[in-house]
Amino acid sequence: MTLRTPTLLAALMALPTLAMAETTLVMPQQDEPRTLSPGPSSDTGGHGPTSNIYSHLVVMDWGIVDGVAAYGDLAESWEVSDDATTYTFKLHPDAMWHDGEPVTSEDVKFTYERIMEEGYTFSSFLRDVESIETPDDQTVVITLNKPNMAFLPMMAQGAQWTGKIYPEHLWADQEGFDTGPYVNEPIGSGPFKFVRWDRGSAVVLEANEDYFRGAPEVDTLIFRTIPDANVARAEFEAGQFPYLPFNYAPPLAEAPMFEADPEINVVYTPSHFSRDLQLNLNHEALGNPKVREAIAYAMDREEMNRLAFNNSWTPGYYAGVSSLQQWINEDARFPEHDAAKAEELLDEAGFPRGDDGWRFSVKVTGPNISDCTAITEILVRQLREVGIEAELDRFDQSTWFSRIQEKQFDISCYFGRYGPDPDAYREHFSTDGARNFMSYSDAELDELAAEANTISDEETRREMYDRIQEIVVRDMPYINVFEEQKMSLVRPGWDGFAVMPAGFNKSISWFGVYGVTGPDDAE
Amino acid sequence: MRLLRYFLFRLLQMFPIALFIVVINFALIHLAPGDVSILLAGEGADPEYMQSIRESYGLDRPLHEQLGAYLGQILQGDLGLSFRTREPVIDIIAERIPATLLLAGTALVLASIAGVAIGAVMARRPGSALDTAVTTLSISLFSIPVFWLGLMLILLFAVTLRWLPSSGMVSIAGPREGLGFVLDVVRHMILPVTALAAVWLGQYVRLSRASVSETLAEPYVTTARAIGFPERRVMTRFALRNAMLPIVTVLGLELGLLLSGAVLTETVFSWPGLGRLIYEAILSRDTPVIMGAFLIMSFTVMLAALLTDLLYAALDPRVRL
Repeated sequence: MTLRTPTLLAALMALPTLAMAETTLVMPQQDEPRTLSPGPSSDTGGHGPTSNIYSHLVVMDWGIVDGVAAYGDLAESWEVSDDATTYTFKLHPDAMWHDGEPVTSEDVKFTYERIMEEGYTFSSFLRDVESIETPDDQTVVITLNKPNMAFLPMMAQGAQWTGKIYPEHLWADQEGFDTGPYVNEPIGSGPFKFVRWDRGSAVVLEANEDYFRGAPEVDTLIFRTIPDANVARAEFEAGQFPYLPFNYAPPLAEAPMFEADPEINVVYTPSHFSRDLQLNLNHEALGNPKVREAIAYAMDREEMNRLAFNNSWTPGYYAGVSSLQQWINEDARFPEHDAAKAEELLDEAGFPRGDDGWRFSVKVTGPNISDCTAITEILVRQLREVGIEAELDRFDQSTWFSRIQEKQFDISCYFGRYGPDPDAYREHFSTDGARNFMSYSDAELDELAAEANTISDEETRREMYDRIQEIVVRDMPYINVFEEQKMSLVRPGWDGFAVMPAGFNKSISWFGVYGVTGPDDAE
Repeated sequence: MRLLRYFLFRLLQMFPIALFIVVINFALIHLAPGDVSILLAGEGADPEYMQSIRESYGLDRPLHEQLGAYLGQILQGDLGLSFRTREPVIDIIAERIPATLLLAGTALVLASIAGVAIGAVMARRPGSALDTAVTTLSISLFSIPVFWLGLMLILLFAVTLRWLPSSGMVSIAGPREGLGFVLDVVRHMILPVTALAAVWLGQYVRLSRASVSETLAEPYVTTARAIGFPERRVMTRFALRNAMLPIVTVLGLELGLLLSGAVLTETVFSWPGLGRLIYEAILSRDTPVIMGAFLIMSFTVMLAALLTDLLYAALDPRVRL
């Protein structure tokens, strides 16, 4: 038998990708899931699948930028006692596990208690919990040992990653959430059911027709692992999937090209994160407040915006972000660019230019994300203009993270967080704050931040956070640079992804696709 | 008998070498900053939780104790559990090896056969225009970074022309068995195999051209021609056979790299093989997986070296083992 090459090639290429009569959504993601059990630890590859398989008690999504810090998932409603220590949740009566068992308050209690016992990541959101009671199948009462205004919003945010509710009847005889048959064949109560995990390739889910909010529009949901951002972009352009999430998105400088393309909708989503600079106060020069102020003057956000972001980001001059406008103190403002003033301050601080023209040297680093890379590259040049011998220091993500935790850095780009609750200031700036890598310490701020979190009167609370922002801008252990803006690409006809307004408050988490609708003419 | 003794001796020799490799790798991995607890703790990074992870994985113990424990474990044939997934390392690796062998093996066979043939033909016409063109092309292929070539192939054949799938090994909703499955895999293989083979091809063309033209200048080839052997016979019986030695050496070395040589290609094409597993394991400091993969790779390299030596003996009777 002779097979001519063209015939063979034609046969290979004609093989159909299998036409489907239902809506299939392929979601690209950069990492392979580690496991499909979300409880024990954060897992960038697992969040997509597990957020759609499992439900949460309360959750949030990008609706946060419209002011919704938490909404109910399994919880249909809740009440908070006047002293803000008792939270009574009413569960959705129709919620069912994928194996047909009803979801009850016992499942919530079981999950949270195990998370606390095992010390899993989510337990930090539950640290003030004194007891969890279940008066009936639909009621969960969580009592805190002290008021914590951030409890609900932080729990809603943490639920995205590791705070999902497990079925007690399947997990009770396992030691933790990382052993047993359901780790990689999950049974949840969310809008999609687990079908298959092809290692190294994809996780396949199907619509849960019995979902308590009604079956999702998407029938088959596939999370495909595509590690290379260029390949993901090429595949998006080839029409392999309708959505290119922001973590793949090409540099913002290319945005005009996409905006000109009628086959692509560019979606901008503000967030409650910023891009800022953390200054290590242990550094000989950076320990001096005048030097930090000088750096704030030396920095030109407008130039960065023009060069790196096509002028589409919002420069951050306040110690806050405009998506959480109600908490911003507009009287506490970081200085605008003024190189002469910067040089003057540096002279005053006792760091005159040496014979070689340099005042002192710093290393500038940052996480391995494209916007921080762009910001730090430009910052280095701007610092050098005022005589600071700045150099870039780059690491992979894990090395960078361990270095800033060990305070082995001078200046680092960082993704500061101001919400979902202003208690975030405590995390960033109080002496023992988990995100305070700067070694910053101020007694007044420590006291204010601890107290503000227990006060339920919004006006009093706002005054306290106003004062905190004044202190931070006075001392400048960090300098806000930009408000984060996410850019995602969507094919026309598709709507309701978590980053789009149509998906706000119904995506069921940042990773959820419950709100997604396909083109009407989809086969 | 002599050969068998040599074979066994070399086989035994592998174990101390493997031990040495394990120790070096272990030290290298632990010299790198950061450990798995940071990645597992993730957002929020609760110090207590990180400490509990370090304890449960034994990362809080002194380095020599960790090394001792690891060595004891592998001596019992146990490569341990992955830090990230808590699954046995041996299963994780075994699952990925077929995909890598399929990709790299096909590319190697294609590149070496085509490369040797092209090189041999060119050696007979040194200096011709065709020879110059092929030499230039093979140097270019040899110097092109494989990830770049891969991206260009994707852009042309998957994005612009849409003839072939851009990544993965199978269509997600495609057939799982039978001829349909085989054809599906073949379709997915074309681009990554082309990228990988193209880069290797240049090397074989150059090697075989140099080697064949060298042997063609040997006195015994002149003698053979003078005797009046047909040119075809001179080529296969005298020139090519003697020219094979350096080619076999390189092929042998590359055979050892079969498992590890496709890391970039696998990453660009989202190929679910061992290379990508290693890439992911390194980024997440999954020490047991990295160590296990290195160990298996070092054994393949050593085995390939041994096979090369044995082949030498078969090709060149002067080589006494």
